[in-house]
Amino acid sequence: MVFAGWILLPLDAYATQLHANSEGIVTHQIGHLFFLFSMVVLIFTITGKGLDKQKGWRLIQYSAFFFILWNLDALTAHFFDNQIQAVKIENISLTQIKVIANNGSTVLAWFYYVLKLDHLLCVPAMFFLYKGLSSLVNEQRQVIKKKDTP
Amino acid sequence: MIASFIPILAIDVIGSVFMVVIAFLCLYKARLLREMDPDNAVFLYLLWISTGFTVFALSRSFGHILRQFLILTSTAETWHAISSYSGSINTVSFMLVGLITLFFNQSWNINEKILSGRKKLEETHIKLVDLNQTLEHKVVERTEKLTSSEHKARRIFEQSLDTILVTDEKFNISEINPAGVTLTGYKKEDMLANQMGLKNFLAQGSEWKRIKHLLETREYILNDETDFLRPDYSQIRVLITGGVDYGAFGCGKTFHFIIKDINDKRQMEQQIAQADKLAALGELSAGVAHEINNPLGIILGYTQLMLKEDSEFEEDLKTIEKHVKNCKTVVSDLLSFSRKGTLEKSLVNVAIIIDGVVKFLANHTDFRNVKIQLKRLKKDRLMIYGNEQELSQVIINLMINACHAVNKKGTIQVAIKKTGDNQIFITVKDNGTGIRKKHFSRIFDPFFTTKPVGQGTGLGLSVGYGIIRRHGGDITARNRKEKGAAFTISLPLALTKDNIKEDRSNT
Repeated sequence: MVFAGWILLPLDAYATQLHANSEGIVTHQIGHLFFLFSMVVLIFTITGKGLDKQKGWRLIQYSAFFFILWNLDALTAHFFDNQIQAVKIENISLTQIKVIANNGSTVLAWFYYVLKLDHLLCVPAMFFLYKGLSSLVNEQRQVIKKKDTP
Repeated sequence: MIASFIPILAIDVIGSVFMVVIAFLCLYKARLLREMDPDNAVFLYLLWISTGFTVFALSRSFGHILRQFLILTSTAETWHAISSYSGSINTVSFMLVGLITLFFNQSWNINEKILSGRKKLEETHIKLVDLNQTLEHKVVERTEKLTSSEHKARRIFEQSLDTILVTDEKFNISEINPAGVTLTGYKKEDMLANQMGLKNFLAQGSEWKRIKHLLETREYILNDETDFLRPDYSQIRVLITGGVDYGAFGCGKTFHFIIKDINDKRQMEQQIAQADKLAALGELSAGVAHEINNPLGIILGYTQLMLKEDSEFEEDLKTIEKHVKNCKTVVSDLLSFSRKGTLEKSLVNVAIIIDGVVKFLANHTDFRNVKIQLKRLKKDRLMIYGNEQELSQVIINLMINACHAVNKKGTIQVAIKKTGDNQIFITVKDNGTGIRKKHFSRIFDPFFTTKPVGQGTGLGLSVGYGIIRRHGGDITARNRKEKGAAFTISLPLALTKDNIKEDRSNT
């Protein structure tokens, strides 16, 4: 009877788990950490294989280093504004903003302002990657030239 | 804290544009690398990571520029509505970059393996090329050796004076050299077309059974003597050596034979045996003649003394005298044969001797129906050192024998020939019955005759033989191909001025 009642009178199952609003920023932060970790691994792998003696790979190492810095920058900035919401920005006009630190610290406000200039890290990182690849292209051209020379 | 928004805005917008531009440049360089070496796994990895960075730069820059635009245009609510999507795409993009980055080690290892494999392949290729060249060189070398060897073997086969014969397992001829063609008298094409074998050459069929039996049981025959019958029905004595070859490199079983023509050798051996026999007979005859000659002289002397006086036995004594004289003639002939007679030699012209003999015999009654043909050299000054009387006797004996052979009715040819090695050959041919094969070995024996009893002493040829041998020459007999017999006398020319001069001019 109980079994029959259980079958014939079903209740809500709640099969899909509900996600809290903070999940997004946590996932984003994990992503940054993963990116950072992969860049650290890349630096050590290049060194471990002795590739840092080649200019191209050394430049790629520099690129990875700047991406690490950029990830640290982004992680810190997201930590303050999205995770603990210690800092927020308000647009006063087209040219001015107001950085508000919840604890009223001006140092934190200025630190956050500097953190917001993260392109100063990721653009050099991309540039070093480009230079590294260019250097590898040149090396490869020389290798081909040597092979073709009788 | 109030601060300027310009640095943040400028760096955000310009930085985003730079990010996209540089990311595409990276992608371009990575593609270049990939095109330069498509098999390089690290370059493939760099292409992937550049693609990841491009996606990352695009998503991030698009989000940043859009955000600044919406904030500046006072539509921040719109940005709040789409910011979560932009942020999520951005998260996925740099996680993708991170994920790809972690595969660097694997990509490197794969590339190392590829390079190592390629290197080994190149090394193997070099070795293979080297081996191939060595092999080609060896093949060329071996081919040259093989060609040289084949050429040598072919030359031996072609130039050999002995017959070299190869047959298949059924004893049908598959190869025969030119000497074999000459020996057998058959054409090579006919031999091959008619599937002729060794048995077709043998004079006696039973010989093939014996040879075949030996080959099948012992697998070889060594110096086996037999007779070959040529297409013109002449026989040749041959010596056969042969054996089986089971073949190599997939060749079938064959039999190889080497056949020697020993006809001349055998004839020479027979002549030597004949000469030895005659020499022994000569010694014997000389001894007998010497012992008989003295008693005969005494008998003849007493008989002639008794005949000087009248006697009732006069007729009987004359009969004794006649027969004793006959005996003396026989003894004299025997002494001539055995070289015991006196001999006075001088320079004589053979041509004149023969002329004289021919003229003398032409008037003889027995030669009335015989046609005598004399073939002489134009400049016949054939001087030899000998006894004219004895030489005449030899020619007369030969011509009388020829006359009997043609039964006093036929043709007798007398020819004189001179050779370069200072020999003259006198040949007496007839078109008579010829010499029977079984008589060949005995015709020069003393007292051998085929004439009825009382018609010949059987000493003519043996005496002639003795005379010619004493003159340093030789006498041989043979049957002619056409009909009849031919006797050939060879004599050495005397070293006169004329002969030497003529010899030099000929040379």
